[in-house]
Amino acid sequence: MGTPDASTSEQSDLSTSVMAPTTEKKHRGLLQEIWHNFKKNRLSLAGGIIVMIAVALAVFAPVLSPHDPVKQFRDPPGQHSPLPPLSRSEEGALFLLGSDKFGRDILSRALYGCRTLLQLATGSITIALALGLLMGGVAGYRKGSWVDELIMRVVDVMLSFPTLVLAIALVGAFGIGKTDIGPITLSNMYKIAIVIAITYSPAFARVMRGVVLQEMAEDYVDAAKMSGGAGWQILTGEIFVNTIPPMIVQASLNMATTVLTSASLSFLGLGLQPPRPSLGIMLNEARDYLFGGAWWYPLVPGFFILLIILGFNLLGDGLRDSLDPRQARRTQL
Amino acid sequence: MSRVFRWESKVKYSRLLEISDLVTRFHTEEGVVKAVDGNSMHLDAGETLGIVGESGCGKTVTALSIMGLIENPGRIESGSILFRGDELLDKTPQEMQEIRGKEIAMVFQDPMNSLNPTLTVGDQIDRVLDFHTPLSRTEKRKRAIELLRQVEMPEPEKRLDNYPHQLSGGMRQRVLIAMALSCNPIVLILDEPTTALDVTIEAQIFELVDKLKAQYDMGIILITHDLSVVANSCDRVIVMYAGRIVEEAPVIDLYEDPLHPYTRGLLNSIPQLDKEEERLPSIPGEVPELINLPEGCNFSPRCQEAKERCPHDDPPLVKVGPGRRIACWMDNGA
Amino acid sequence: MAVYLLKRLLLAVPTLFGASIIIFLLIHIAPGDPVRVMLGPMDDPALRAKIVHQLGLDLPLHEQYLRWLGKAVQGDFGISVTIQRGSPVLELLAQRYSVTLELAFLSTIIALLIAVPAGITSALRQNRLSDHIARIVAMVGVSVPNFFLGIMLILIIGVSLHQPWATGGFVPLSKGLSENLIRMLLPAIALGTAYSAIIMRMLRSSMLDIMSQDYVRTARAMGIGWRSIVRQDIVKNALIPVTTVMGNSIGYLLGGSIITETIFRLPGMGRLIIIGVDRRDYPVIQGVVLSIVLIRIIVNLSVDILYSVIDPRIRYGAEGE
Repeated sequence: MGTPDASTSEQSDLSTSVMAPTTEKKHRGLLQEIWHNFKKNRLSLAGGIIVMIAVALAVFAPVLSPHDPVKQFRDPPGQHSPLPPLSRSEEGALFLLGSDKFGRDILSRALYGCRTLLQLATGSITIALALGLLMGGVAGYRKGSWVDELIMRVVDVMLSFPTLVLAIALVGAFGIGKTDIGPITLSNMYKIAIVIAITYSPAFARVMRGVVLQEMAEDYVDAAKMSGGAGWQILTGEIFVNTIPPMIVQASLNMATTVLTSASLSFLGLGLQPPRPSLGIMLNEARDYLFGGAWWYPLVPGFFILLIILGFNLLGDGLRDSLDPRQARRTQL
Repeated sequence: MSRVFRWESKVKYSRLLEISDLVTRFHTEEGVVKAVDGNSMHLDAGETLGIVGESGCGKTVTALSIMGLIENPGRIESGSILFRGDELLDKTPQEMQEIRGKEIAMVFQDPMNSLNPTLTVGDQIDRVLDFHTPLSRTEKRKRAIELLRQVEMPEPEKRLDNYPHQLSGGMRQRVLIAMALSCNPIVLILDEPTTALDVTIEAQIFELVDKLKAQYDMGIILITHDLSVVANSCDRVIVMYAGRIVEEAPVIDLYEDPLHPYTRGLLNSIPQLDKEEERLPSIPGEVPELINLPEGCNFSPRCQEAKERCPHDDPPLVKVGPGRRIACWMDNGA
Repeated sequence: MAVYLLKRLLLAVPTLFGASIIIFLLIHIAPGDPVRVMLGPMDDPALRAKIVHQLGLDLPLHEQYLRWLGKAVQGDFGISVTIQRGSPVLELLAQRYSVTLELAFLSTIIALLIAVPAGITSALRQNRLSDHIARIVAMVGVSVPNFFLGIMLILIIGVSLHQPWATGGFVPLSKGLSENLIRMLLPAIALGTAYSAIIMRMLRSSMLDIMSQDYVRTARAMGIGWRSIVRQDIVKNALIPVTTVMGNSIGYLLGGSIITETIFRLPGMGRLIIIGVDRRDYPVIQGVVLSIVLIRIIVNLSVDILYSVIDPRIRYGAEGE
């Protein structure tokens, strides 16, 4: 699934709208220009602030959490009814935002949940970037060959799956929880990150290939080829450097949907497993307690997820506007 | 009994447009753009008035001011535009809408995107007629075919069902002219109507316009930056520079005896077939930005004949002969 | 134009095949033993061998694939191992899809009902207060995870306001139209909100683009009334790119229904895939995923056809015809 991101729900549409400039000089100019436009846009600044707050919360979760997120404050441990915000456990521990069904502090769990969610999202985007870099780079470099065709067909096919469906299918294939692939045991979190990365890598591959093709058409490439061996290395390095800005842009555009997919997987029970604090799981647990009127149970984790996604969406929007000044004029707030 | 559409009898006003001290400014983030800076001019029935100048000199804004199409951040600040004695600047938007297309019509520069791509030619002409006339469906269709014939469009009946993208640029421009003429306007404003077209098409279009002018006794304002077009089609010419009128003259007088240094510069830069020149003379310097006009005469920084006074005092537009005005401090006054 | 469509159709076929290969591979590289799941406590070597042979699991991989594909093309997606005592997957799909498609349809209607007026108003009143508010709301709408929204809707309307129909469950159409619809209302809202925000933003952006086009200026210069201009010039042309976005969103709708059906306990295709994954019921997973890809491809093609119909530039060729 993925909430369709801000302007289209087709990742491939997005990737084709990101074009790399053609000279290195322009690259530096491009980044500066982006930054300049970006600063002007109030919405993207707001997004940036939100994201920074979220990251701060995540990084400092151990410090900020009033309690241990997995500690159950009820005796005997097991299921109890959740307590509302500002209530206390039997020993007098204060639950600022209430407790969950196992008597665990919701605020602490939520903070740690942000942490895991952001870890997961950044991890998967990084892996997706790497995968996309590899696939797109190879395809672009060997343009027209069967390697190129094969890779791009695979990319097309993968893009024909809705993101959440593909992620679920992959989880279905790998299994829930820890996975053994041959001699390697992947922890659940890595596995989820890889699953999500695989889901999003086609978009990156497309961008990468597009940029590589553009760069290869440049004069400096011909020059480097003609100068032989050492030239070739410079060539790859040079091309690589020029692919960074568009890939970064693509990454920022996909952060919001990655977060959403991670949370969705957890919600469906296919992602992070309990007792690990996860915002998605908390929402799932809350379902059983709606009729008891435990409004804080879904509200807290849901609100955190909303905030994180909103922040990234604003950022991504602002970034897109900075690239296309015509759009920016239209979206001034 | 079928209804017959009677063209409204137009009271014979010979002075169609009288513009006095028109000031139109744009209040942008970067500053105030003085697009039209206190200009006065007139247009009489049966004549073609050319407005000449480089891009950005305010010619189009003048036309838009007449049409009432100036929008935020632009505003007509002061002045008067009399259309057959009627003050246009006092009219409500609704009243202007009724005048536009019906009494005063305008054709813009680039025909390529000027027609709605999802409506047929017939539908688009139909719309204009719909808003301004009480004709029935069949009458409108007849009129549309008649108009297309007048603008020398091949196979008019077929064209009605074509979409704009199926027509060439020249044909689209003809459709636009047809739409402009559909309600027999008294004033027709053409803003660089052929800049985006071939030279051959250009000639055809101007011939056409001349014919129609005679037929309908219209007054035409022809905006262009191309002096050769002016020579061929206009009766009188106004030369604009940086938002101001610098010279006005009957066309022959302008070509035989240009007074303003700018006009002379423009005429000098037209390549001549009978003279051998190594380099085409051009006017040195650049057109000032309308946000940042120089003190005194706007043209003085580039003027070869600038006197001491010129950078300090703005020369007023004064009459120097029958139908001639000039804004310059040159000694050749009165 | 027919050529263009034919080309698109031809491109779609290999994609579908490619998808089927991937789906097949995914299932078969998965760890875990479906046979063991099937047999449970009755696992013994003889029975196992028999089942393995029956399922063709003893054949080489590519042969298994061809066998599976051959059956799939004929509509035989195999038998569910865990649901309803081995009912044909095709049947299950048919049952479930009617629910999911209804949900998708209703979500689209709700999305359009909100997005179209909002988008038009927002564009026409650009940068005024109503525009800003609409855009902020749209932004939040795009960012709200639909499971959060669904749960909150149940909480507020079902629990706090004591509306029994708001808590989920499904009533088939055969048992009453209004009962069916009211139970689909909240799910459709939950699923349609983000969709609505996307359409609204696209429409607004598209309209603003068009408002600066030359032909709008022409219409104004010809004295055509603003209402007519909005209708015939602006909105009419602005809707064209919007239909593309809507077509692309079928992926979102299908994926999102997984979550929405889970929350509202609707017996749709989305729930089916979850059950399948949970129980490692491979025929089900394969069938559902393949059908989703198929639907997506069909919808994309339909959008292409629709596009060519509504945009005269595609319907008729270029100049001089």
